[in-house]
Amino acid sequence: MLGFILAEIPRLFTIYNVILLAKAALTTLALSAVGCAVGLFCGALLTVARLSRRPALWPLKAFAFLYVEIMRRVPFLITLMTFFFGAQVLGFDFSPLAIAFVSTSVISTAFVAEIVRSGLQAVRPSQLEAAAVMNFSAWQSFWLVRLPQAWPIILPPVFAYFVLFIKDTALASQAGVLELTQAARILNTKGFSASLVYAAVLLLYFAISYPLARLGVVLEKRLGAARHSRPGRPV
Amino acid sequence: MHYVLHYGQIAPYLPYLLGGMLISLALSILSFAGGMVLGLAFAIIRDEGDPIASRLVRGYVAFFTNTPQLVQIYVIYFGLPDFGVLFSPFAAVLIGMTLNAAGYLTEILRAGLVSVHIEELDAAATLNMNRLQTLRHVVLPHLFRVTMPALSNQYILMTLGTSMAAIFGVEELTGRAFNINSTTFRSIEIFTTVAAIYVVVTFIVTILLALFGRWAFRARVPVL
Repeated sequence: MLGFILAEIPRLFTIYNVILLAKAALTTLALSAVGCAVGLFCGALLTVARLSRRPALWPLKAFAFLYVEIMRRVPFLITLMTFFFGAQVLGFDFSPLAIAFVSTSVISTAFVAEIVRSGLQAVRPSQLEAAAVMNFSAWQSFWLVRLPQAWPIILPPVFAYFVLFIKDTALASQAGVLELTQAARILNTKGFSASLVYAAVLLLYFAISYPLARLGVVLEKRLGAARHSRPGRPV
Repeated sequence: MHYVLHYGQIAPYLPYLLGGMLISLALSILSFAGGMVLGLAFAIIRDEGDPIASRLVRGYVAFFTNTPQLVQIYVIYFGLPDFGVLFSPFAAVLIGMTLNAAGYLTEILRAGLVSVHIEELDAAATLNMNRLQTLRHVVLPHLFRVTMPALSNQYILMTLGTSMAAIFGVEELTGRAFNINSTTFRSIEIFTTVAAIYVVVTFIVTILLALFGRWAFRARVPVL
């Protein structure tokens, strides 16, 4: 059996199949990257609303709280299927890729918002009090004092989440998006052995994810070192 | 665009869906338990085993944490039959989830093992405890107290991850949602109901795990 499978390898890596896999790998990366980019933007907005002290903003604060707490407890597959079948039922004609982009963004917003929140809250209150004493406006103390200190704390976990999410986007194959897992299913339907194509795609995922994960560790060390070597640690 | 929501049509299926949730929970509990056994063994090997075994464990963790659980189960369910190894959908998902969980749990438990103070081990040696006694009375209580929040979080993520069992035909909560969807076509109502069930059940589980951690290991587990 192994002989048959090994004999398929040269046929698997013909130019068309390699192009298919390369395109699929790019889609996989794009799904996670777009999800995290949108998540970083929307998550930051939600967090700023949630941490705001203005009483008038309470509906926004409640929404931010509920969104984060609820969406982190819904499986990605369910979110994806809600949008996938929901668009069909409501009569929208979206491509599966668009639906996958919306789903990844919706889910990662909740997770990234939580990372942003813990980062912003890690900035010591004395820093903000000092900014207030120096008559900084709310915007100035956020932009000039809070964000520069929170940024190195926020970035490594967001990057780690991006790498983690690359693996979750495999579920987008269930909506028919042509990413790596779907490419494997297509190749399997074309007649290649399941063990060969799925093992090959598993290795491709590893080749994408492992270097990025290592990069994340390096990033964390760099930013962490920059944070701790600063003279006069905050009180 | 004149779509009217009819949650009433879903109501009769609620017991069926909740029964599916029990299968989801069974899947997550079994794979978490298996993952804990493997993860604990791997973490101990990485912490104090010989260099070759330690390298193997590192390779295992790197491989399973850097590839999607879905494709791992694909290999087990669709790939292994090429070599004459056949599993039922439930068994394939369970094996895949257990192996995947072992990878993540090894990392969590190893971080906990590293945090055991050397003085505690010295004290155990002074009391003439053997290795098993040290593990049982000194290392494990500390380990679970420190890692309880991370373990609880991992368990919740795994419970959400059981939804991919539906892809292989296991009739757990998501699988049953697909079944109802193909007979009633009330997609929005079904999937939002199922999402609500996941939210409520995982929230209850989070609270129960926090209480359990506080009672058993005096661990502080944040619920929200």
